[in-house]
Amino acid sequence: MLAIEATDIVKTFQEGRERVLVLKGVSLAVAPGEVVALEGPSGSGKTTLLSILGCILTATSGQVTVDGLLVDPARPSRLPQIRKKSIGFVFQQFNLFPALTALENVEYALNIKGTKGAAAHAEAERILDVVGLSDRKEFLPRDLSGGQKQRVAIARALVGSPAVILADEPTANLDSQVGTQILELFRALAKKDNRALLIVTHDPKVREVSDRVVKIRDGKIAA
Amino acid sequence: MVDLAYKTLLHDKVRFLITVAGVAFAVTLILVQVGLFIGILDNATVTIEHIDADLWITSKNTPNLDFVHQFPESYVDRVRDADGVERADDLILAFMNVALPTGAQETAVVYALKDFRRWGLPWDVPVGDVDDLKRGPYVLFDESAAKRFGAFEVGDYREIQSQRLKIIGKTRGAKSFTTTPLAFMDYDRAQTLSPDLLRGNTSYILVKAKPGTDIPRLERELQAKLPYNDVHTKAAWAARSRDYWIKNTGIGFNAFLTVFLGCLVGIVVVAQTLYTSTMEHIKEFGTLKAIGGSNADIYGILARQAGVSAIVGFVFGLIPSFALRPLVEKRDLKLIIPLEFTGIVFVGTVVLCMAAAMISFRKVASIDPGLVFRT
Repeated sequence: MLAIEATDIVKTFQEGRERVLVLKGVSLAVAPGEVVALEGPSGSGKTTLLSILGCILTATSGQVTVDGLLVDPARPSRLPQIRKKSIGFVFQQFNLFPALTALENVEYALNIKGTKGAAAHAEAERILDVVGLSDRKEFLPRDLSGGQKQRVAIARALVGSPAVILADEPTANLDSQVGTQILELFRALAKKDNRALLIVTHDPKVREVSDRVVKIRDGKIAA
Repeated sequence: MVDLAYKTLLHDKVRFLITVAGVAFAVTLILVQVGLFIGILDNATVTIEHIDADLWITSKNTPNLDFVHQFPESYVDRVRDADGVERADDLILAFMNVALPTGAQETAVVYALKDFRRWGLPWDVPVGDVDDLKRGPYVLFDESAAKRFGAFEVGDYREIQSQRLKIIGKTRGAKSFTTTPLAFMDYDRAQTLSPDLLRGNTSYILVKAKPGTDIPRLERELQAKLPYNDVHTKAAWAARSRDYWIKNTGIGFNAFLTVFLGCLVGIVVVAQTLYTSTMEHIKEFGTLKAIGGSNADIYGILARQAGVSAIVGFVFGLIPSFALRPLVEKRDLKLIIPLEFTGIVFVGTVVLCMAAAMISFRKVASIDPGLVFRT
């Protein structure tokens, strides 16, 4: 079973009186344990594709399956459930909760996914240890470096063992050395637990850790 | 369970303090203004509440305790004849001139009964004995009269209606809505001081029913016996007196306006700070949605923040309200904040803060989780 499968995805947006066609029949599949880099110039539709694959947006037409679950655009109320169960996100800006410590950021994601109390606390500590941040768990995001913040974000994405991790430019705000470390960590964790990892990027370093590179241009898969 | 609502609220301490201060200000405003209002109204009925009568018979259409008209004192005999009456007495209430040692003229509200003690009036006599009033040209003044009449002591004399009366004691807590000081004297003495108005007349008849008497039945019977008078139960008479002042002066509207403004200030402050906070944390709410959180999760966070702000603000509003009490009493005013009203203000504070959070609910309901990908 594929971790994520998109078939003939079309997405249009209404901008004023104009209807803009952003994705023009995109098909993409990612297998469990596979690391895929999605590259494309600005405006090519890669973030829109990521949003559709992450059940944040629904496609105008086409079919998306995540972890064996068919995404039904007619039932948008089910999308949070799919996100909660099967998808982990890593963002360019980290998007950590500034009022929560590193540990609490991870634990809160577990709470949202249904794990509470001591079990959530222990699991959050374990995952922070996995990403090498056990000595920074009580730090607020403002007291962490960019690389440390991204490690917390990765830890948060990993909780609940989602089948798919979607990352949007995860190295864009990191220096080259830290970026490489993060990518290597990312790949190792995805491979270890057989998770599909799709990374939207401009960063050529991502290619080095990817099993496959998919290019998107003008709303179509180019290669 | 990580409490994102609480942690976020306290993360920005200045904003939290502003919110709490806004709520506290509104709570203090409402409690103090309404407390003063209740205190003033209490003066309007304090004697009604303390006199041990089940029914009051007044002249027709008397609107409140102080706007008194006289009627024949012999009516009391018809009342005493009624089935179920344990005792009934005439009560004179009259405004009389008091000549002060300075030469100035003032006015006192005189309460006159033949037997004060059995009606429980006056109820607090720190100096003197009310039974001595019938023994001569004597008077009791409430100690609050010193504010209008100047200092006085037991043994002093004052001219009331041009006749010298000896002050034989002081009462405490007997006040009128109009702030006119209260004086107590014997019934016959009062008629002597103001014969044109009071000879053969009374202002009220006080009625005490026998235990187990059906009060509404007795009220109807007395009303039938005295068709040109009004018969009120104690509670109805107190309510009528209060209602008069509320409806016919500006104080009712003023109190309403204060409560309204207090609520408005509270809502505006909480709504504004919560909304600004929501807008500043909009990306975090987007992230929350992206990681699987629902609108209900976010509503829960906002409601909890509004609830915490309401409770902390209420406590900080309650403390100064009660702390002001001694200061208010020094100014010879009453600040009465009943427990029930405090409870109502607490519930109102929570409800209004929740209502203020609804504005933010509308905003987060429309959050596009895709904003998490925007830089």
